[in-house]
Amino acid sequence: MWKLASAVGTAGLALVSAGAARAETVTLKFWDNQQTESGLSQYQQEAVKRFEAENPDIKVEVTTVPYPEYQQRLLTAVQGGNAPDVSTVDQIWQAAFAEAGAIVKLDDRAKAAGIEAGQFFPGAWESANYDGNLWGIPFNVDVWFFSFYNKALLSQAGVDPASTVTWDGLRQAAQKLTDPAKGRFAVGLFAHKGEDTTVVLDSFIYSNGGSVLDASGKCALDQPPAVDALRYLASLVPYAPKGILNAASGDMRELFLNGSLALEFWPALEQPTLQKSKLDWDFVVGHAPAGKTPIGTYGGWNLVVYRQSPHQDAAWKFVRFLTRPDVNGKVVDLIPANVEAAKKFLQENRKHPDLILTHLDNAKPRPLSPRYLEVSDAEITLAQDVFSGMAPADAAKKACASIDALDGK
Amino acid sequence: VTTALARGGTGARPGVLRPRAGRPRARDRRLAWLFAAPAILLVGLLMYYPMVGTVYESLFTTSFINPTPKFVGLETYRRILADPGFRQVVLNSLAWTAGVVILQNVVGFLAALLLDQNLPGQGLMRSLVLLPWVLPGVVAAILWRFLYDPQLGLINSFLIGWGLSDHGVEWLADTATAMPAAILAAVWKGFPFSTVVYLAALQNVDREQIEAAVIDGAGPVRRLLDVVIPAVRPVIAVNLLLTTILTFNYFDMVWVLTRGGPLNSTHIFPTKIYELGFGQFRFGDAAAYGVISMLVLVVLIALYLLVQRRARA
Repeated sequence: MWKLASAVGTAGLALVSAGAARAETVTLKFWDNQQTESGLSQYQQEAVKRFEAENPDIKVEVTTVPYPEYQQRLLTAVQGGNAPDVSTVDQIWQAAFAEAGAIVKLDDRAKAAGIEAGQFFPGAWESANYDGNLWGIPFNVDVWFFSFYNKALLSQAGVDPASTVTWDGLRQAAQKLTDPAKGRFAVGLFAHKGEDTTVVLDSFIYSNGGSVLDASGKCALDQPPAVDALRYLASLVPYAPKGILNAASGDMRELFLNGSLALEFWPALEQPTLQKSKLDWDFVVGHAPAGKTPIGTYGGWNLVVYRQSPHQDAAWKFVRFLTRPDVNGKVVDLIPANVEAAKKFLQENRKHPDLILTHLDNAKPRPLSPRYLEVSDAEITLAQDVFSGMAPADAAKKACASIDALDGK
Repeated sequence: VTTALARGGTGARPGVLRPRAGRPRARDRRLAWLFAAPAILLVGLLMYYPMVGTVYESLFTTSFINPTPKFVGLETYRRILADPGFRQVVLNSLAWTAGVVILQNVVGFLAALLLDQNLPGQGLMRSLVLLPWVLPGVVAAILWRFLYDPQLGLINSFLIGWGLSDHGVEWLADTATAMPAAILAAVWKGFPFSTVVYLAALQNVDREQIEAAVIDGAGPVRRLLDVVIPAVRPVIAVNLLLTTILTFNYFDMVWVLTRGGPLNSTHIFPTKIYELGFGQFRFGDAAAYGVISMLVLVVLIALYLLVQRRARA
């Protein structure tokens, strides 16, 4: 009798606790930022509804922060112990977040879920790895840069757009397209203190076979391929609008849209803006010396799970959901990092999807260093030095001295 | 209530709070501390705790990637002081502060003199002159960025239109012109503050003294130098001090215009601290720059007060 009562009691307790577990809902805090004018919030809300329907025990609170504030908000939250459970992080921040112990390794979870390199663009997957471990899952990507051109201006100057793909071709076209008296300029160079300056610089260096850091992490900007790229960029200065040292990609867009500039450098995310304009435009996939392939520089965001999160399992479920081929394309305002989702997204939303896909396949990420932001700062100074007339080799040497000194700080 | 208390209105202990010639009694002192405590606590918590915390943090190497602070003593200061970039920040900060403070006060004083005359439309002018000051800092900075735009800016349009320049000036992209351009924008934004303060002071100048000077045959310049300026000298002193502190710590104008560029030619203490802390996650370095910035400001103010005292003596 006693045994029976005990068994009934245990079963009852088990039922009660199971009920309690069912009733317990996890609320995930998800942070993302917005870079374009798309209806991102709406897409995210729809995706969250779908996720919550698939996972009734998980609720998701989405916080969307404007891009310029995102880094500071995220950093303050992590430092203050108020990190979200899951968020996007810029590829260039991820190594620092990993080094700081702010995020968790995802190797085992990814392996168990069958998530692997081939499902994502190679450079995006590379950017999610640091120091031999996987710290994030690529969420969205784009590539700097595509050269968007004003068809009317090129046609008036008798320039064949295809000829601008080579460095020599671009410089010859630039001579024809520049007329300062009429306020017309060929190439939208910019070198303000901003990441857009770094990625364009990197793209020219990568397209000449150079790199920013070598395999051992030492500065490679003073090596011949990088110095030649700097020399080439300096030769374009006469064909660029004035004020390069304080100009940003956004300033060049203004000039491009008002017909003063023939070519501007932007990622594919520029297309929706141009589609809304009255301009007759098209693009080529960057520029490289004859016989070489233009290599772009990756931009984009990875999804990470925070160490501070008490709901890492639920957070991982959400990461998996957002990077699924059938979901990824519906929740990003750049290009989905999942190749399958990207193909569909580009077909539906972008001009020349094949060109974009090829450029994405070839592109390289920026240096994956926990001191990346300081490396980038040295590169911006390098660009400003070169554009203000310093000899490229000297400017590169100066940049390398400050980059290689970072270890000692 | 105060009167009632002073008269011994509580009834029980007549004259308890009555001021006395001798030392205040212990209970009075306790009461005084009690009343002052909330204010002291708030000021201590909100002002001095972060300041002391910054000094403390500057003795450690702390960054986002090394979140566990490691004590290094004055090593960060040694490294910063040896960096040529630091010298540039100090010189930029001094040029920026001196330029803005002098011009803002001169322009502000002249505008106040003008508004102190009984000219038609004076009320409207007084409101209009306040407009730059009322604008949020970032909005004013964006406005000036447009004005300085090398291609589309109004300033270059005028220069080219009037034949003063062939292709315009790269105002914010040239290391020679970026700082003067930033100073001009800051003066435009800040001069109404000085105008308002000076106008209030000018209206309190004894009219009889001015009339006496007129009768003595003093012209407008002589009246300004010998009557008006001596009368408002204490206000000028306070205004210079205030604008020095505000300008030295002024962040948004330079950040929006140039982010400290080109080639760090406009990097001042606040922009450098922001860049180190939030741009590069180097909190220890940012804290050390913050402490040095505080010291430079203290030295500037001390020098200024010394000059003032000597002038008065």
